[in-house]
Amino acid sequence: MMAPGRKQRIVLRSAIIAGAVALSLAMEIAGYAATPVAERDEGSYIALHAMVPLVFAACAGVAWATGPAQLPARLMIAFVVLWIPQTIYRVIGDLGWFWPLVRGVDLGWAVVTGILVLVYPRGRLDGRFDRWIAGIALTATLINFLNVVLFAAPGPDTCACAPNVYQVADAPWLFETVDNAYRIIGVGLALAIAARLLVQWMRASVPARTVAFLMPVALFAWATTLAAQAVTYATATTADAVLRTISLIAIASVPVSFVAGISHARNMRARVADLMRITREGADRGLWAESLARTLRDASVRVYWWDEERAGYFDASGVAIEEIDTHGSHSVLPVASPLGVPIALIRHDRVLTDNMRLLDGVSSALRLSVDNGRLRSEVERTLEHVRQSRQRIVEAGVEARRRIERDLHDGAQQRLVSLGMGLRLAANRAAELGDERLAAALETAIDELAEGLRELRELAHGIHPSLLSAGGLALAVPELAGRCPVPIEIDVQAEGRLPEIVESTAYFAVAELLANVAKHSRATRGWVRAHIVDDELVLVVRDNGMGGASLDHGTGMLGIADRIDAVGGSLDLHSPAGAGTTVTLRIPLAHDPEHAPSSPSLVE
Amino acid sequence: MADEVVSPLRVAVADDALLLREGIQKVLEGGGVEVVAAVGTGDELLEVVRTNEVDVAVLDIRMPPSFRDEGIVALESLRATGSKIGVLLLSMYATPEYALRVMGAGSGTGYLLKERVSEPQTLVRAVETVADGGNVVDPEVVEQLVRRTRADDPLARLTDRERSVLELMAQGYSNGGIAQTLFLGLKTVETHVRSILQKLDLEESPEHHRRVLAVLTLLGAR
Repeated sequence: MMAPGRKQRIVLRSAIIAGAVALSLAMEIAGYAATPVAERDEGSYIALHAMVPLVFAACAGVAWATGPAQLPARLMIAFVVLWIPQTIYRVIGDLGWFWPLVRGVDLGWAVVTGILVLVYPRGRLDGRFDRWIAGIALTATLINFLNVVLFAAPGPDTCACAPNVYQVADAPWLFETVDNAYRIIGVGLALAIAARLLVQWMRASVPARTVAFLMPVALFAWATTLAAQAVTYATATTADAVLRTISLIAIASVPVSFVAGISHARNMRARVADLMRITREGADRGLWAESLARTLRDASVRVYWWDEERAGYFDASGVAIEEIDTHGSHSVLPVASPLGVPIALIRHDRVLTDNMRLLDGVSSALRLSVDNGRLRSEVERTLEHVRQSRQRIVEAGVEARRRIERDLHDGAQQRLVSLGMGLRLAANRAAELGDERLAAALETAIDELAEGLRELRELAHGIHPSLLSAGGLALAVPELAGRCPVPIEIDVQAEGRLPEIVESTAYFAVAELLANVAKHSRATRGWVRAHIVDDELVLVVRDNGMGGASLDHGTGMLGIADRIDAVGGSLDLHSPAGAGTTVTLRIPLAHDPEHAPSSPSLVE
Repeated sequence: MADEVVSPLRVAVADDALLLREGIQKVLEGGGVEVVAAVGTGDELLEVVRTNEVDVAVLDIRMPPSFRDEGIVALESLRATGSKIGVLLLSMYATPEYALRVMGAGSGTGYLLKERVSEPQTLVRAVETVADGGNVVDPEVVEQLVRRTRADDPLARLTDRERSVLELMAQGYSNGGIAQTLFLGLKTVETHVRSILQKLDLEESPEHHRRVLAVLTLLGAR
């Protein structure tokens, strides 16, 4: 789907291109028609000449479609309009008010071409050198325009035309001097631009040269031919046909180089997207730098990561950054988080600086992935923290149960037993003294106390069976099963003692599962199997009841699952309706909270 | 009874809780038993037994240092060194698994709930029984075992009378003791015992403690 605004823009641009092409062709055809057959150029040259603006027009379309920068496309359209054939004066020569205006801008195409080269590849003028060149060119063009309008008279240097209506003085020497000076300045500027591009290209890393070379070569060819033409013009000799043909081809190749270069950068941006994808998958640092080098087609790329502890930049292998020579062929791109915390330095080929958008993409990718990594590790850290604290809570719960049982055992239970002993002595004494009623009352108290002790014993046992502390699962689970009203078959193959937290977690889970069997399952048989598989205690509690148990039916199953989970284990519930319930618990014998990533991530 | 006056049983007591240690001592002494030492740990008790003439050791199961099963460990090391003295273990809990382990150590052993100290006769009789090489198992343990559920309950084959006899067998009573307790003739008891052993597929063993162990194991078996 195309947005209406975008559609309108495309229509408008197409119209502009079509209009410019029509105007250019009209000028070409009109000039051709007005030229006597004998004086016409060779057909091939005229065809080539007419094709140059078509190439520019086509490239303008491409530039508009690819880049957000408007200037290159506009310059290319301007070129199409300003590509004025010399034959045009045969058409407009009789219009004394018109031809001087055309004559004043008929070298505008050269200026436009020069600026187009200058704005490559960023689409705008950057740096003092570029602005100076453009300023000089435009100033010279303005002076030349005024010179033509105010001083040009019909003649061999201009055309066999009607008198110039704007002419203020008849000063052919002034006109000729300025006219020639303008051409020489133009050639000089063209050579300067070409030389600058050439130097830039020679300094560039191999990948950057591959496409960028088109531009300076074309420009150099054009500047050379321009110089030759200027010389022939100044010396009023006829230019060589070969030279003129080369010149046309050179000019036509400028916009082609331009859009080719832009597309290249665009491909690079696509590769930045690849880079984003790679980094999102949590690649390590070494791999990231490798992918970056691939993305930028620059094997000399180095990435130095900021190390908060050591307060410096280090590469992936931990080697500290050396002094980066920023005056050489490399530039350094610092990447920092939105809060200004340094992340990394990317040392890259200087030529990549021309493509700020690409580098922006790269730093965004890095920033994003570092942020992601940071979030990920933060979540992992938090999760680990929660996991550990949960385990500590469970352990503290077990410890508390044990302590309560012990306090009861050493405190209340001992005292009550001792009290029973005292009551017994008192009862015996009362009987000895013949106080039957007191003796009977004391007997009743002793019986009450025995019942109380029995209840207390059960309570303490339920809180934490001493049998578990003393004998482990091998003793405690059979005892537990013995209390279950449903007959339970036991197979405990856990030789020796397991870690306390494992034993008590397993014990209370089995206790609750057997309580479920008794209360909810309507089973007539049950099975408890405990065995060690590798480094796990595997407990299977099964019954032949009605099944249909779930983790959210208030049967305490979720609580069991939570406690198993807290010690790093898992609970598997299989309970199809009508086919019994099987609960499989797996508890690691050595709970290891460490599960460090195997490779260094983007974030330490 | 004349014998006891001449040479009362010499007993060593070990319990880390002072209150109970003294209580046990008092109860035993009240029952005509001489308490030669009252200590707080199993190791101290072993030392006392080694250096003194002791007939019976009365031990708490859960004692320092680890508060697990030090009493039973002490019993086992006594038996390992060839000592045949009576050993009566006391516990806050009636744990069949412990009872089996105690019976497994051989004759002259007993396992009682601590609260039996408020039944002086029971305690004193238990001490006398183990001194004679008999076995004692707390009725609470037997009750628990009998209560245990089984898929195939062998006890269902017993008559009520036989069941009562079986429970007393499990508690360590001899045939004479059972006859006395149930007010039956010795012959009748012997008949019951034979019938029970036959129904439960148990062998009559010449050694008394093996019979107790066999019955307990049967009751505990699932």
